[in-house]
Amino acid sequence: MAASPAPCGGRPREQRLYLRKMERMVVSMQDPDQGVRTRSQRLLITVIPHAVTGGDVVEWLVRKFCISEEGEGRPAPRLGRVDPAKHSLLPPQRPYTWAACWRNTATYTRCTPYFWTSTLWPPAELDYAIYLAKKNMRKQGALVNHEKEHYDQLHKKINHTWDLVVMQAREQLRAAKQRRKGDRLVIACQEQTYWLVNRPPVSPCAMRVGLGRCGSATCPFQTQSLDFYKQEIERSRKALGRTRVKSSICLEAFLMFSHQRGPHDPILAGCLPSNPWITDDEAYWSANAPMVAVPTKPRVERWGFSFQELLDDPMGRVHFMDFLQKEFSAENLSFWEACEELRFGGQAQIPTLVDTVYQQFLAPGAAQWVNIDSRTMERTLEGLRQPHRYVLDDAQLHIYMLMKKDSYPRFLKSDMYKGLLAEAVVPLETKRRVFPFVRKPRLSSPCPALPPISGEPTAAGSPAGGDGES
Amino acid sequence: MAKEECKALLDALNKTTACYHHLVLTVGGSADSQNLREELQKTRQKARELAVTTGARLTVALRDRSLAAEDRAEFERLWVAFSGCLDLLEADMQRALALGAAFPLHTPLRPLVRTGVAGDSSRVAARALSARSLRHQAERDFDVSDLKELEREVLQVGEMINDMEMKVNVPRWTVQARQTAGAELQSSISVGASSAGGMSVEERPRSCDPGKALAATLFSAVLLAAVALAFSVAKLG
Repeated sequence: MAASPAPCGGRPREQRLYLRKMERMVVSMQDPDQGVRTRSQRLLITVIPHAVTGGDVVEWLVRKFCISEEGEGRPAPRLGRVDPAKHSLLPPQRPYTWAACWRNTATYTRCTPYFWTSTLWPPAELDYAIYLAKKNMRKQGALVNHEKEHYDQLHKKINHTWDLVVMQAREQLRAAKQRRKGDRLVIACQEQTYWLVNRPPVSPCAMRVGLGRCGSATCPFQTQSLDFYKQEIERSRKALGRTRVKSSICLEAFLMFSHQRGPHDPILAGCLPSNPWITDDEAYWSANAPMVAVPTKPRVERWGFSFQELLDDPMGRVHFMDFLQKEFSAENLSFWEACEELRFGGQAQIPTLVDTVYQQFLAPGAAQWVNIDSRTMERTLEGLRQPHRYVLDDAQLHIYMLMKKDSYPRFLKSDMYKGLLAEAVVPLETKRRVFPFVRKPRLSSPCPALPPISGEPTAAGSPAGGDGES
Repeated sequence: MAKEECKALLDALNKTTACYHHLVLTVGGSADSQNLREELQKTRQKARELAVTTGARLTVALRDRSLAAEDRAEFERLWVAFSGCLDLLEADMQRALALGAAFPLHTPLRPLVRTGVAGDSSRVAARALSARSLRHQAERDFDVSDLKELEREVLQVGEMINDMEMKVNVPRWTVQARQTAGAELQSSISVGASSAGGMSVEERPRSCDPGKALAATLFSAVLLAAVALAFSVAKLG
């Protein structure tokens, strides 16, 4: 831990601000002119200075914050929020009942800053154990119920340091005996309050949340409403029904994929004619342009891998369309393309597009009527009343599966495809230059990292200058 | 014997830590003063010296591979207590730093909180240092200069703890404490048994409470007056 005066985290920032405000208020309470009236409290022979009574504190708060008196003259509800005693800033002096914090005659003193919640790190179990041991010694074994429980729990939990606990407790009591009795009483009361606040006997959830501490005992389970549980059940049921794939199957599929695609990967298997980034030769890009007259061989091979590959490639789509026209089922592909356009098109065009699609493909007696089963057709026609982007999804999927199962295998077996494979170009690898260090003319513009030489217009600099600068 | 020596050192460290804790409790309160800060510094130094010595002895003992099983168990127990003590000391030092910085003595941006603790703590410090009484001899701005010292020392203690953990590997869960659950009740009254050094003489709870002394003198005066009156009455009668 870094040694710095600022307290380290452990309390949320808003709470720290709130605690600081309370501390400032407590400090202002002791102002000799404006503060609360202090008096010395007498307990038999010992005198405790700087004591304040509850009534005085309430009066001062009322005066300072101009809180109006409500009800029968006790501004208790408002003040209840501002309760320094709760945060162990104002521990009461005599044995108190924790419930009646604002009894008029009970006396309070201000807590020493050691125990203020904002400066202290979260209370440790070892400290609590030492405190309980001390109390045990002072009261000759008469601990309160919750304290006894905590004591036993701690004894089990930090059993290994129990020697230290006992030793420290004894020594701390002996050290305390070196002070005046009044001081001893005050410090003991303050410590007691501090531990009562930080390890409260009954755990009201609000108080724990307010102090923001990570309590040792478990927070009691909060029951939720009926709706919450219904939602939880629904969610769990849905999660059960999710399709899951065995990892062995998944991995096999992945292996097959890698095996199949390995030779086609430009980085893993090299690309022909040559990698443009290395050799500055753009033949690769021009050979693999989206719409090129003669596609390369790897590309044609890839059409055979899956139907989606074929449809993704524009050239593939064109050839597939040709094939379908020969088979007299080209309307399927047209319908599919129209649906894609609907899905990814502009929002404003949706109504017109839906109309066109209906007229062309779905209406009975349409020009290119697609063969969709009756249930899907019904649902689509229903949805067409309120057209939106995804209204034709079901129909599109049906047609897609139809093409995939029916037309696509036939395409792969067809002569057309075989012809394409035979015609496909295998680009030759560019010959390596004999003199590898001869600089090739570069087509790029002058390097942007270097500042342009003044006097030379940058526009004219590009192709001509590029050659010259290489 | 090494064990007894270590035990004695540990007891001394324990006592000093307890006294330091007690002194830090009152920082920032109405009993805070230059003297208190000075006492804190002296106690702290003593604690550090003791910690270094004890640490060295225990490390040497535990790194000795030819130690018998019960001896080893005993040393491990002492080790656990020692590291716990050192943790407490470090925590208290950090709090002292934070509070000392927040409540500077001579430039009150934040006046000291009137906590109702009024007496002085020189006897606590004297107990810690095993001396009869304490002389206060610090300059005016001692608390400010001391803070930097304190910061450095906190870091040093932290490093020492890390160092020790690296050198000696004591699994905490295997250590069985000697003291049982209610052990503190047995010898809560007996005072001089386990403290080290010559402080047992000073431990009689000496209450130099002025109220009590006043009451005692008044009572004895009244008693004497009554006796004298009775005498004179008897003489006359």
